[in-house]
Order: sequence, then C-alpha cells, then structure tokens
Amino acid sequence: MRRFVRENALTLFFLLIFLLALAGQAVTGMARLNHDLVAEGAAPVSLLAYVTSGDFAVDVAENWQSEYLQFFLFIVVTVWLVQKGSPESKQPGEEGAGSDKDAMVGAFARAGSPRWARAGGIRRWLLSNSLGLVMGVLFLLSWLGQSVAGLSAYNAEQLGAFEDPVTWAQYVGSAEFWNRTLQNWQSEFLAVASMVSLAVFLRQRGSPESKPVGAPHGATSVEN
Amino acid sequence: MMRLLTEWTRLRTGMVVAALLIAVTGLSGCAGSARDAEAADAARALHDALARRDGNAACALLAPRAAEGLETGGAVCREEILRLDLAGGDVREVRVWGRAAQVRTAGDTLFLTRFASGWRVTAAGCEPRPAEPYDCEVEA
Repeated sequence: MRRFVRENALTLFFLLIFLLALAGQAVTGMARLNHDLVAEGAAPVSLLAYVTSGDFAVDVAENWQSEYLQFFLFIVVTVWLVQKGSPESKQPGEEGAGSDKDAMVGAFARAGSPRWARAGGIRRWLLSNSLGLVMGVLFLLSWLGQSVAGLSAYNAEQLGAFEDPVTWAQYVGSAEFWNRTLQNWQSEFLAVASMVSLAVFLRQRGSPESKPVGAPHGATSVEN
Repeated sequence: MMRLLTEWTRLRTGMVVAALLIAVTGLSGCAGSARDAEAADAARALHDALARRDGNAACALLAPRAAEGLETGGAVCREEILRLDLAGGDVREVRVWGRAAQVRTAGDTLFLTRFASGWRVTAAGCEPRPAEPYDCEVEA
C-alpha cells in the first residue's frame, strides 16, 4: 500500500486536490446562488440540487474542456513545432512523427513494449496516437457537456428575464457560449506559451519539467 | 480472462453512456414532464381564480415580487389583478428550464419560478416584443 502510494504519488496528489477544489467549487457556488435566490425572495437550493443543476455543470465543463484542449494541442503540436532552448520541445530538425526505430514500434519493439507496438495496421496507429486521441475525445465530450449544461443555465436565465428560451443550435452560435469558451481558451494558450518560453531561461532544480540548472539556455530537449 | 475483460469494458462503456444520457436529459429538461405539468397547473390555477373573480386566490399564486408590483400607489393586489382582465384559455406549450418556466395558453403567456411552496407566477399578461423581453401586465 505504502509502495503503491509512493509510486503513484503524483497522480494521487493531483486527484486529491482536484476533488477538494471541486467540492469547494460546489459549496461556494451553492452559497453564491442561494444568496441571489434569497435576495429574489425564492427558496434556497440544497447542495444536491445545485450539483445536478446546469449552473454547476456548465462551470465545471467549460474549465474541463479548455484543460483537455490545452493538453491535446500541447501533445499534438509539439510533434511538428519546436522551441529552441525549451525542455518541452524536441531539437530543431526533429519535427514530425519520427522513425519506427525512435518510436520502438514494429521490428524495433523491445521485450517490455506494449503488444500493439509490435502489431501493425490500425492497432499500432491507435497506440501511437492514443494520448492525443484520448485528450482530444475528452476535450470534445467536455465541450459538448458545456454546450448542454450551458443551454440549461442560459435558458433558465432567459425565462427569468421574461425572454424566450433558445435551441441548442442557437446557443452554440451565441455570444454567451463563445465568450465562456474563449475566456477559458485564452488563459490556457497563454499558460502553454509561458511554460514553453520561460523554461528556456528559468530553472526549477529537481523538476523534470526543467532543464538542469547548469544547462545552457540554448540547449533544447534537455530535462532533469 | 480476456473475455471477462472485454465484457467488463463493454459494461463500463454502457454505464458511462447511460450516465451521460441521464445527465444530458436531466439538464436539458427532457425528463421534466412532471415539472411541466406542475408549471401548467399553476398557470391554469391563476386563470381559474381570475375566472371566478377570486382576487385573493389569484394573488396567492403570484411570486411575492409580482404581487408587490401590483401594489403601487396604495393599490391592493386582490383588486388590481381583477382589473387587468388577463386572458386564459387552454395550455398550448410549457417550457421548463431549471427553476424557471414559460407557459403559453390560448390567450396569454406566463412566466413562473419554482419556490419551496411550488410554482409561482412571476409574469402574466405578456406580449412578445422584437429583440426585447416580453412586455407584461403583471411582473416581478
């Protein structure tokens, strides 16, 4: 048990703080909504009613989709684009999917390689692109979830303001949907650009996301 | 072992799809036929009270802010609401989203909000206006 925790500490730590933050978001979101409801003269909602509402779901989903988009783009775009001096990048000149030898697939698979790395055709293609594919699918599902939950929350607001509700198609073409989407995207894109470029000149001793402290600024693809 | 794993994967996929469907239908209000009926009943009850000329019963079905809205300049809700001559008729369409609803009858459009005590009318006697909220005779 202790060994399992130690060997998976990074994932477990982030899952734990994810759950704590999500719980905090639920409690504070309910408090904010209930403040508004009481001010309107309506009855406050329970925590269960709040976490199953469109209001909560849209706030969760709009953040999830942008995070999965960030990682999807980071994983896929770094195949083709480089940043000289960044530990997050390959060396200039190494752009592209690389050789089978570098990828350790087919005849170059080793004893411990996954079975599908040795296989050919669709199975090898799927394994070779599984990280980007799963991140991309999670992005699309979260974005779809945002649109459905956002429609629910938006239409409740429309009715509260004595206006007609809109259809899903009208909602995904609305300024509300795109404003919620783009305000999340811009922050993720800035974060990636900051990480890629700042890591050229800055170091974090002991972190695999950083170059060794003494590595030259111009050294690309060197991690601790 | 492989078959067991495949079965488990299928079962898990099925569970995820079912959970997504429940979430989608729950959030979009498709599963809200009971809520639709309750909102429609509240709208009908208001029109029935008005048809009986029962101002007290009609005002009890309004949201507090809507009732207060009729009581400007010393007016009393139970008298004021009867002066408005709101049209009733059969319920034609009910749309419920979250805690809010819109009920269209043959002669009126009403907006409602769900309170702890049930659905209450927040606006009635509403006429649509292009690119603006409905213009309502009673509104919270």
